[in-house]
Amino acid sequence: MSEQDSAARFRFRARYVKHGRLAYLGHLELAHTIERVVRRAALPYAVTQGFSPHMRVGFTSALPVGTASDAEYFDVWLTDYVPADVALRRLSAAAPADMAPVELSYLDLRAPALTAEITRALYRVELTPARGDVDAASVSAALEQVIGQGSIPYVRGRKQKELDLETTLVSADCSPSDEGRIALDLDTRVSNEGSLRPEILIAALDRALCPAHEFEGPIVSSGIQDLYAFRRYSVCRTAQYVEDADGSLLSPLRAGETTSAPISVSSVPSL
Amino acid sequence: MRIAYENRFADIEPLLPRVEKPSRYIDHEWGTLSCPDADYRICMIYPDVYEVGLPNQGIAILYSVLNAQEGISCERGYVPWVDMADLMREAGVPLLSLEGAAPVASFDAVGLHIPHEMAVTNLLETLDLAGIPLRAADRGEDDPLVFAGGPSVYNPEPYAPFIDAILIGEGEEHLPQVCREHRELRDAGASRAEILRALADIPGTYVPSLYEVKTGEGCGPHGHAVPLDGAPEIVHKRVVADFGVTDPVPQSVVPFAQLVHDRLSIEVLRGCARGCRFCQAGMTYRPVRERTPDQIVSAVVSGLKRTGYDEVSLTSLSTTDHSCCASVLERLNRRLEDTGIRVSIPSQRLDSFGIDMAARVAGEKKGGLTFAPEAGSQRLRDIINKNVTEDDLERATRAAFEAGWRRCKLYFMMGLPGETDEDIVAIAELADRTYELAREVVPPAQRGGISVSVSCSVFIPKASTPFQWCAQTPDDEVKRRQQLLIHSVRNRAVRVHYHDADTSLLEAVLSRGGRDIAPLIEAAWRRGARFDAWTEQFDLSRWEEAATECGIDLRAVAQTPCDLDDPLPWDHISSGVSKGYLLREYRRALAGETTPDCTRTSCTGCGVCPTLNVSNVLVGERK
Repeated sequence: MSEQDSAARFRFRARYVKHGRLAYLGHLELAHTIERVVRRAALPYAVTQGFSPHMRVGFTSALPVGTASDAEYFDVWLTDYVPADVALRRLSAAAPADMAPVELSYLDLRAPALTAEITRALYRVELTPARGDVDAASVSAALEQVIGQGSIPYVRGRKQKELDLETTLVSADCSPSDEGRIALDLDTRVSNEGSLRPEILIAALDRALCPAHEFEGPIVSSGIQDLYAFRRYSVCRTAQYVEDADGSLLSPLRAGETTSAPISVSSVPSL
Repeated sequence: MRIAYENRFADIEPLLPRVEKPSRYIDHEWGTLSCPDADYRICMIYPDVYEVGLPNQGIAILYSVLNAQEGISCERGYVPWVDMADLMREAGVPLLSLEGAAPVASFDAVGLHIPHEMAVTNLLETLDLAGIPLRAADRGEDDPLVFAGGPSVYNPEPYAPFIDAILIGEGEEHLPQVCREHRELRDAGASRAEILRALADIPGTYVPSLYEVKTGEGCGPHGHAVPLDGAPEIVHKRVVADFGVTDPVPQSVVPFAQLVHDRLSIEVLRGCARGCRFCQAGMTYRPVRERTPDQIVSAVVSGLKRTGYDEVSLTSLSTTDHSCCASVLERLNRRLEDTGIRVSIPSQRLDSFGIDMAARVAGEKKGGLTFAPEAGSQRLRDIINKNVTEDDLERATRAAFEAGWRRCKLYFMMGLPGETDEDIVAIAELADRTYELAREVVPPAQRGGISVSVSCSVFIPKASTPFQWCAQTPDDEVKRRQQLLIHSVRNRAVRVHYHDADTSLLEAVLSRGGRDIAPLIEAAWRRGARFDAWTEQFDLSRWEEAATECGIDLRAVAQTPCDLDDPLPWDHISSGVSKGYLLREYRRALAGETTPDCTRTSCTGCGVCPTLNVSNVLVGERK
């Protein structure tokens, strides 16, 4: 479809947050809201041609309901150039505060899609223990045990699945956090083969920490887990990265041919 | 002491991870208007879940006009879905408003919207979750005043005991007036009873506690209401005489959640004078008032800019009847070219003009078209005054298939007054003919995409219509006719859907009963009835048990005609259409005589204009 969108002459990428109550929004709710923000900002967005014309826009992979984020991204294709600072200002004025766009830059029209480019996602999980014996040390031990098993079986819908920790989990660090909470920092790898949904790892930790409890059936991948070792938990995606050829991590805003200067119109291939 | 107005979001936050669609409860949407520091607060509640209630235009209008008043703050509320309601009860959290997350019982007033009869148990669910006594008579000085209003107030008697004051008709001028009066009297230290007595003097305000139900000889089976203490004999609806000066873009809140109608709505005209005799809205929203094309176009442009929606719907009871419909659509198509923004119109007029208009908004993407012939035979269409002929129908469907539509849904009613088996068979014949027409018109290669379906609801006699005296067809008989319909359709490709006869029976009970029905509603709610408008939640057995407990025969209420000489339980509420006109229309129906549309011919004498001192406002010549 992109080749037909002759009006798409510029493309910017913006980072935005998903904070506070808005962590409870689902992916489609978030995507629709971003589109409405772009329209309210009156940016000259490009429209796809064809049967059902709509705004040309791209998003990062879905965050589960209840998961917050410091680093979500969207791409929008424009028909006319709007200076990055002006576009950012207009988007911010048109967005709910808890979904504010915070950074924006232009990139090559043909740069890969966000979902194709992003291969690393970092999460911070905050766990509120339900028992006195659950602390950073015991969670660390449980983590080692779960990682040692290599994978976590779970159910999504009617499908039996397996979360492969060897390919998806780069590192996991456990440390004491504020008010008796435990922080779990996860560095995960995202690919077509799969990604790590933190709540499945949390559910596995919960089971490891409650050996005496009779759990009914396998872990179910729903947005929210019923836990026993923890009273509450919160998850925040803290960063997403593009890995370049030598393995170093780049911001999706700085990846590839990204440039903060406007692409001159003459450099845009005529379509 | 009234419960404190304070933010209690922390009480429901722990429940959010445990419920379906938490976005129903989180607020913080774009475009909210309330101001927490106002000294008079009202919470407007739609008696269903967030995504059903949010698109409601009535509430959007009232929310916008109330928040524009000095010192008045209006917040919104919805009914928590069953999962959340149960968790809230378990956790002891009362019903909270959306914007301030404050207890609904802490407001000065609560405004309940009454969209349809099936919402009545949710009114009780709302009051109970809020911790407000269910019956107006049991409320104390600290409880909020409970107002109700909306489309379904023309027989308010079944739910009247639960409400302090019912606002009849259009609320944009009325409700702010009621709130200002309430605030003034409250500040002057008036008692609840004194306030309500004073509100009853504001035209259009029905205070049920000021009416006594008279029963006995000549009073009809449900009695009729007689005013006490000088309250008005008849409460006439309120109506906005100059619709053109009202804000054409009242909608401000843009939700996160995916809604049933997720779009900008611009009300392009109000009222419909086609005069279908079964249609309550057609009688109660008169007179007809159109907005000018300039106002509509600029409202669409500014509304889209403010909200960011990708669809705008031009709403009304019959948008294609707007005298400038064609030119408005043409101008909008030009303005919205290359934006990916769609225009939609809610219903199709049953002639080739209707198809032409539908084609203007459909673009390349032609989904399905819905037509409402309402009855299968010309004889029955004349009885109900649905002024379309067989030829209109054929021309419309032919034009639709020629223009590229492949899916067509035909909407009918069953159990209409005077209906015979021949009329049911005629529905099947009409559907078969439509299917054959489609096969004739559509190129052979595309015939696989043809879909013709019939959707058949059960006629419910409603107050303030010419059929208000009629009985509902017995549910067993309805079920027999449904089978007859299914077996009469020859083409297997034609799909037939029909409405549940149980739901329709109850809807008729709630439409035709008097104040004697209130204990039934309460008993059914105590047995767990809520969200009765949701098929999967509705259970007639709860209502049947409740009826036995209350000594009420549901079928007798729904299926006994009213005596033309007896007063009706809702005679003290008037839409401005005179009872004499309704009776005349009823007699014309029995004689098979049709009545024309007064916006296309001359006055037909319904009485709205002289009674309410208003008139039809057309901005052009209607076609």
